[in-house]
Amino acid sequence: MADLSATGLMLRPGARAFSATIGAGEILGLAGLDGHGQDAFLRSLTGLEKSGGEVALNGQRIGSFRDAERARIVYVPRDRRATGIFPGLSILDNFAIATAGRDRRGPLISPAARRARYEIWRERLQIRAPSPEAPITALSGGNQQKVLLARALAREPEVLLLNDPTRGVDVATRHLLYDLFRDLAGEGMVLVILSSEIEEILALCHRVLVFRDHGLAAELSGEAMQTDQVIAAMFGRAG
Amino acid sequence: MRVLGRYTFAIAILVVLLVANLVMNPARFHPAAWGTLLGMAAPLIGAALASTPVILAGRGGIDISVGPVMALVSAVVIKVLYLDHGLSSPLILWPAALLIGALIGAFNGFMAVIVRVQPIVATLGTYLILGGLTLTILPAPVGPAPDWLKAMAGGWSFLPLGVIGLLWWGLSRTPFHDQLMAVGSDDRAAYTAGVPVSLVRFLAYVITGMLAAAAGMMLTALIGSADPKVGANYTLIAIAAVALGGVSLAGGKGGLLGAAIGAFDIFLLQSLLTAFNVSTYVLQVAYGAILVTAVVLIAFQDRGTKRSHA
Amino acid sequence: MSRYLTGMKARIIGAFLVAALLHLIGTVLIPGYSAPFAIRALLVIAALLAVASVGQTLVVILGGIDLSIPFIIGFANVTAAQLYGQGWHFGLVCLVVFGLAILIGALNGALSRGLNIHPLIVTLGIGMIVQGLVLIWTKGFPTGSAPKAVSSFVSIGGSFGPLPVPALIPALLVMTLLIVLVLERTPWGRRLYALGANPGAAPYALINPLWVWTSTFAASAFFAALAGILLLGFTGSAYGDVGQPYLFQTIAAVVVGGAALVGGRGSYIGTLAGVLVLTEINTLLIGLNFSPASVQAAFGAIILLLVSLYGRERHFRTTV
Repeated sequence: MADLSATGLMLRPGARAFSATIGAGEILGLAGLDGHGQDAFLRSLTGLEKSGGEVALNGQRIGSFRDAERARIVYVPRDRRATGIFPGLSILDNFAIATAGRDRRGPLISPAARRARYEIWRERLQIRAPSPEAPITALSGGNQQKVLLARALAREPEVLLLNDPTRGVDVATRHLLYDLFRDLAGEGMVLVILSSEIEEILALCHRVLVFRDHGLAAELSGEAMQTDQVIAAMFGRAG
Repeated sequence: MRVLGRYTFAIAILVVLLVANLVMNPARFHPAAWGTLLGMAAPLIGAALASTPVILAGRGGIDISVGPVMALVSAVVIKVLYLDHGLSSPLILWPAALLIGALIGAFNGFMAVIVRVQPIVATLGTYLILGGLTLTILPAPVGPAPDWLKAMAGGWSFLPLGVIGLLWWGLSRTPFHDQLMAVGSDDRAAYTAGVPVSLVRFLAYVITGMLAAAAGMMLTALIGSADPKVGANYTLIAIAAVALGGVSLAGGKGGLLGAAIGAFDIFLLQSLLTAFNVSTYVLQVAYGAILVTAVVLIAFQDRGTKRSHA
Repeated sequence: MSRYLTGMKARIIGAFLVAALLHLIGTVLIPGYSAPFAIRALLVIAALLAVASVGQTLVVILGGIDLSIPFIIGFANVTAAQLYGQGWHFGLVCLVVFGLAILIGALNGALSRGLNIHPLIVTLGIGMIVQGLVLIWTKGFPTGSAPKAVSSFVSIGGSFGPLPVPALIPALLVMTLLIVLVLERTPWGRRLYALGANPGAAPYALINPLWVWTSTFAASAFFAALAGILLLGFTGSAYGDVGQPYLFQTIAAVVVGGAALVGGRGSYIGTLAGVLVLTEINTLLIGLNFSPASVQAAFGAIILLLVSLYGRERHFRTTV
């Protein structure tokens, strides 16, 4: 069973170091005012940000993005347009690009294999697309996000790190994604979700880390997970 | 200080090459000969200056028709206006040259900004058209150039470059300069901030065209005649000079001064290697090596500053 | 089929139609324009440009540009002739020439991507160094020639089995098929397009930009070297500047073929269409007895016309 731990992380020189552990099947929420370190924390877990301290999955040190890739820690970035989709490429391409090698039969990609792999996720995520050959830009924001999630999930992650996954996504899709995240956690995946909406975190996550000044301001779970508590911690008013 | 930082490498080479040249070639670098010296460097400096505004304007901005513009200006001014029609006054020839440059620049700007053809392709089209046109007007070199123009490669060589420098200095006090840099570094942000992005880019092409025409006049002054073949060679070496001078080909970073220093570096290198009596082959290797080394060092420097800012 | 793909296909078909139209005009205006020998000459000249343009196509899909192509062509042309003239086995000659070209190309790509320097400057600088070194080595007077096999491979009068064309033409078709397969059906090809379309998203999708750039520029140099050796067979003797016309022609062919220099778009079939258009224009204008100067000017004008018809970029506002 997966167990992701961060020990003595210092998100910025001089910031307060902290540690955190996330277990399999858990959905951990990250909250905080923009730029208060939750983003850096999430990126540290993928080896993208070099913070003081150590990140490890099941005792294996994660020191670089490559380590994270090998350990199947998968990061889904926030800005769909800038760091997510490949405009001009088809939905299939956008889905399969990170796992392109798996569809190879001999030296060439088998379109049938690729299509079959896509169909599984299209169904599970209910991607609504005119045709898998259509360009990704023909899709709505919500459906683009589903394709990006399918791209990430196709890598069979142990740990899924989501940076504001419901940004610019319609309400119906949001609920579909919430159900999906709960199912994935139920299957034993570790999920860390950064969200700019507190309600989303409260509805979805088992535990929330609230960040302030690049440090961990509060860790809330169970009864303590209340909107006012989170907000208080975000603004540094909590004890 | 940060602006100077981009020039560090170009200035360092400048100092080294200048000292080396002074030692190797004292007669040529004697203060009394500075006019002639500058006159020899002027066409390349002019071409480098001309290449800069469109590069500063960003989004792949580049003008590879600078060299052919120089050749065409030379051909029209000497062959058509001076020899065929007897017009010799600088008050006619200079405005005529600048007008040609401005018109070609406007055409390039129209193609690149309004029609939105990729700048390198748009100006490649112009490059070919102007090359053909020049050869049609002037199949073989003719001369001589008027005496006043030839003097601009001698004692008066400071004049055209000085005027360009003054005008650019004046321009850099106007909002246009800031707008140009803003457009070059981030056109979308500039657009949202209310900068007339397309107009600024278009004007950059016009300025480039006019500067290229001026460079053409300096080239004519130097060779004392019109030669259809010489101009085009300046295009790529001018862009190399611009990069050497710390102007970012991505736009928004650098300035005319850097480009001029970069061009003067290349001229000094040429002059030094000629003094050593090396073949033009070695010269070519040296050009390439200096260019690659320079951009690599500038890249490292950029990384350094980025890190210290992060 | 999506609208996007149809748009891209329409461009390529359009370019082929323009080439056919130009050929028709030539046939009507110039006696002997469609004579077998004339067509063979046209095909061979187009095929040589097509080989030289492979690399530019790949690099442009990536969002870069390769100005070193003419210099690598000249380098391969001269080096192959020189070494073969010194009695080397031609297989070994090819090994050395291709090996060096690939190294030079890899350096181009690695420097451009690794240090984030515009490839225009890197490839120009490296190209100048390569050409200068070749000139120093041969003292400006290269000697030697190509083996007979290479000459007959590209000879206009040659034939391939029952086909009345030299082996170059069927070989080009096979090469085209391979290139299309690599671009469309291999992970490397798909990553090339993806990286060109959005460099910012590439690392998250497990694409290694440095590797893709290095391998692509290496491939570009390989095809430039191939063109240089074929040109040696075509002209019969070594000439360091033989590649110079290919600098702008490869860029023009790629752009006329519908690729965008901003990356992510383009195809080798499109480039072939562009190559045919350019070769037709050139042949037509020369056939109409235009002076070389007018041919050049008309060439420029036609490129501008074609590109303004369908090679336009999006307005920057729409990319916000």
